Amino acid sequence: MYWELSLETMERRELERHQLRLANASLARARRSPHYGQALARLPETGLASLRALEELPFTGKSELRAGFPYGFLAVDPEEVVRLHSSSGTTGNPTVVYHTRGDIADWENLIARCMYSTGVRKKDVFQNMMGYGLFTGGIGFHYGAERLGVMTIPIGPGNSKRQIWFLQHLGTTVIHILPSYALHLAGYFPELGIDPRRDLKLRIAFIGAEPHSEAIRRKIEEIYGLKAYNSYGLSEMCGPGVAFECLLQNGLHLWEDHFYPEIIDPLSGRLLPEGEEGELVLTTLKREAMPLIRYRTGDLTRILPGPCPCGRTHRRIERIKGRSDDMLIINGVNLFPIQIEKTLMAIPAVGRNYLIEVRKVDHMDRLEVKVELNEDVFRGTLAELEKLQARVVAELRAELGVSPVVKLVEPSSLPVSEGKARRVYDLRGGLG
Amino acid sequence: MSVQLAVFLENHPGKLESITKALAEAGVNIRGFSMASEGEYGVLKILADDPEKAYRVLKERHYTLSRRTVEIALIDDRPGGLHELLTTLSSRQINIEDCYGITLEEGCRAAIVLDVERFPEAEAVLRENGVRLLGEGEQL
Repeated sequence: MYWELSLETMERRELERHQLRLANASLARARRSPHYGQALARLPETGLASLRALEELPFTGKSELRAGFPYGFLAVDPEEVVRLHSSSGTTGNPTVVYHTRGDIADWENLIARCMYSTGVRKKDVFQNMMGYGLFTGGIGFHYGAERLGVMTIPIGPGNSKRQIWFLQHLGTTVIHILPSYALHLAGYFPELGIDPRRDLKLRIAFIGAEPHSEAIRRKIEEIYGLKAYNSYGLSEMCGPGVAFECLLQNGLHLWEDHFYPEIIDPLSGRLLPEGEEGELVLTTLKREAMPLIRYRTGDLTRILPGPCPCGRTHRRIERIKGRSDDMLIINGVNLFPIQIEKTLMAIPAVGRNYLIEVRKVDHMDRLEVKVELNEDVFRGTLAELEKLQARVVAELRAELGVSPVVKLVEPSSLPVSEGKARRVYDLRGGLG
Repeated sequence: MSVQLAVFLENHPGKLESITKALAEAGVNIRGFSMASEGEYGVLKILADDPEKAYRVLKERHYTLSRRTVEIALIDDRPGGLHELLTTLSSRQINIEDCYGITLEEGCRAAIVLDVERFPEAEAVLRENGVRLLGEGEQL
């Protein structure tokens, strides 16, 4: 049940010594990048004496990554880079993450480790319903599954009837899917006369890329008759494969031979005692192209106390509770309200006031943007309104990678702002 | 040449009513109106006896609106009356963007509100053909 027995079950003290060695090597690599060359200039050549000393080092945030675009964080010769992944968005600089051949190999291996630990084997058939492209979800699992030796179907998301046709006719046993899409897809079974528990061979689902509740997981398991495992990752670290549930489904093992976790108070930035909930901060231990030191993930969680009965010694994080910043996750795609604001304000016919609402419709996230008209530009025809609405949809879709519902509203229907206006209403209700 | 107001409105119960209420309270008379809706929203065109006052009243209430120049043609209220007017315009390839009619006195006169492209030319064509147009500031 272990992909790499010695690494996964390494005794804690030995694991920590291993981590310290890796952390110092990672710091040394990081300092070859322009950003860390400056940020870590005062670090002694001998490195850190203990992992705890990491606490003295500055954090790295998304804003630094953006400011460092394009090569501020690159720690290797550009020739050594074989791939780039990126967050969506054309507003300002995207956050780009570079990979060497070694980084890709490590990432594949981590995904294979995750999949193997839940029982995926070479004989399985894996249907990857996560998005391919700049997004890391699809490609990350794709290569990890191939590394494990599983037949991989790179179908990507959407086109629900075709998904079901593949599930049925290829005897798919393992899927990787957004939890919201898993619930949405289930809505197609009745009309196709398919009972997923009886007619499909599914046994394992990997769900991730968006926060979801335990109840949602159980519902997915119930509908499909399989075991669903929570997967956590972020493109800045590599993508999926950072932390993963084992068969016990009780917390996600964070692979500590690749990442060093800390939990901080998101407001003060102070390290929290183990077990307390706060923002997850990660330091890469092995990445070559783009080592990140004390990277603030923005994800809220805590480290679960005690060892896991599965035998793995790598500590577990609880399922992600939410965000410490205003990032929105819409059907697995990350976006910030500021991207919406910048896009709207660049359209002359749009007024100054707007409102963002996110809700669940048929299990999927729906992003609704309410915009006012700019009175100075309004000429008084219906045609210009229809044109404007279509334009706002198109420009937001291009910016966000998500198709929004755009509503034109009268000025009076949006709340009048007093001081800092509240413009984002997440009406999805908790996780899931 | 006359002025009509075009007001952006969301399509909800009571929206239209809020406009008529505001104008009634201000003593503005609505001589004609038309509504074009897309489903979720629409544009209400209002021909008021005092367009400037109506504009002020609605602006104060934060409606999104604009003033649009229209031609109001007075025609005989009889079979073929409207047809002749439209033929005059189409014979010169002048496109009508928006248009609605108001019967003034049954069997006698009707007013046709025309929102056309190529304004000065349209006005000249109509006048050449003996169509009586309402002048600036002239009341219906």
